[in-house]
Amino acid sequence: MPGVVILKNISKSFSVDISRPSTYTVIKNLFSRNGHYSRSFNALKDINVEIERGESVGLIGNNGAGKTTLLKTIAGLYRPDNGEVVINGEVNFLAGFGIGMVDELSVTENIYLYGAIYGMDRNKIHQNFDDIVEWAELQNFTGAKLKTLSTGMRTRLAFSVTRFIAADIYLLDEALSAGDKSFRQKCEMVFESYKPDKKTLIISTHNMEFVKKFCTKTLWLHKGVLMDFGDTETVLKKYLEMKNNN
Amino acid sequence: MPIYSKKHINLLRELIVSQYKLKDQSKFLGFIWSFLNPLIMLSVIFMFFSLLMGHSIENYPVYLLIGIVQYTHFSNSTFASMRILYNMKQLTTETIFPKELLVISSIISNVIEFAISLLITVLVAFVSGVHFTWDILYLPLIFILQLMLVSWISLFLSWFYLYVKDIDHIYQVFLRVLFFITPIFYDLSSLGETAKIIALLNPLTHLISFSRIAIIQGGEFPLTSFAILFLVNSILIYFSLILFKKFEPTFAENV
Repeated sequence: MPGVVILKNISKSFSVDISRPSTYTVIKNLFSRNGHYSRSFNALKDINVEIERGESVGLIGNNGAGKTTLLKTIAGLYRPDNGEVVINGEVNFLAGFGIGMVDELSVTENIYLYGAIYGMDRNKIHQNFDDIVEWAELQNFTGAKLKTLSTGMRTRLAFSVTRFIAADIYLLDEALSAGDKSFRQKCEMVFESYKPDKKTLIISTHNMEFVKKFCTKTLWLHKGVLMDFGDTETVLKKYLEMKNNN
Repeated sequence: MPIYSKKHINLLRELIVSQYKLKDQSKFLGFIWSFLNPLIMLSVIFMFFSLLMGHSIENYPVYLLIGIVQYTHFSNSTFASMRILYNMKQLTTETIFPKELLVISSIISNVIEFAISLLITVLVAFVSGVHFTWDILYLPLIFILQLMLVSWISLFLSWFYLYVKDIDHIYQVFLRVLFFITPIFYDLSSLGETAKIIALLNPLTHLISFSRIAIIQGGEFPLTSFAILFLVNSILIYFSLILFKKFEPTFAENV
């Protein structure tokens, strides 16, 4: 069975000069005899992975390991320097909860906007509106402006909408870093509900308990290098051994 | 060329609605504010130039109003659309829908103001005693042509602004210059040969001239030049979209 996400020899580097150049810099570089030299670092080095349909993959590694870069490369937001990304299915990328929500708009308006950003049509949002609000525990806040909500309330609202996003492959970046314990438990229940539908999940996280409990496979990155990819128990053991040795 | 599905149309609608609400134009006072700037410009220019130009140009206040309305829409719309990808950087870098939708939503959220301004212009012309001809029916076509011009320029500027940070300052200066090289408060015939050539190379000159013929002057509507501009702008929209899509996969790492 062919994989739904196939990464062949993926490498990606970024320029260290992160600020956008001015017109003067652009013109200067254009006419410079030595050409423009920009320092770069390798965020991903020669990654080869094949993820099959229905797998839940935990993406682990220290900060700066390349987890977000890998997810964004799969999502098509980054173009790899080398290699090929093959995707068989519809992808949805959730970088963090609440991206695109607007402080000055009401909770109701934000539900429709946020849903639309992730590909939901108005009817579907309308049909599930009460459920969205109830799950987020925001029944009394539908008319309130988003800016009056606490961070926890916003996160709940955003995740509540994302439960209805239709996709074959879900990419979640640091999905479980926000919210309290009860929120995380509710999230896990939602992820669990994807399994019978053979949805593929790739979740980057620092929460090893979650990986152990939920992920069928684990992908471990370290400084842009694929350290291991395989069944969760084996990969986690190696990862924790390395962590303990350091 | 990209293919758009129902979910993209739905997203476009939500983006337009949210941007329009954020502009505060859905509220009466906010709506009035958006007309205040062109109104002040109109009053000042009329005060200083009506003596100079008013004798040679028929219906000078309406003539002036048409120029100001079209220039204001062009400048506001292209300037806002240029900054949209950067201002909404989270959407640009963290979501996977076609990013031209952000630019198009910015253009359309400025359309309502432009349409109302044009209607007010027609109303002012009527009250001022202008006798309309059938040429006024060309006005919706001129409206579409102006949107086409705004579209390809916005598509181009929006991604270019992600790569070069001070383009907005340069464009602001350009817009100031454009105000003076476009026959807004003077007539093309009052220009010297070189200045006239420069003014004629400016597409806004033609658009404003089309509207003046449609609303005030009547007579022979220059259908051939209109068709040529329509064709040229269609081609430019196509190429600006191709260029936009070519650069789109690098947006996330440049913001």
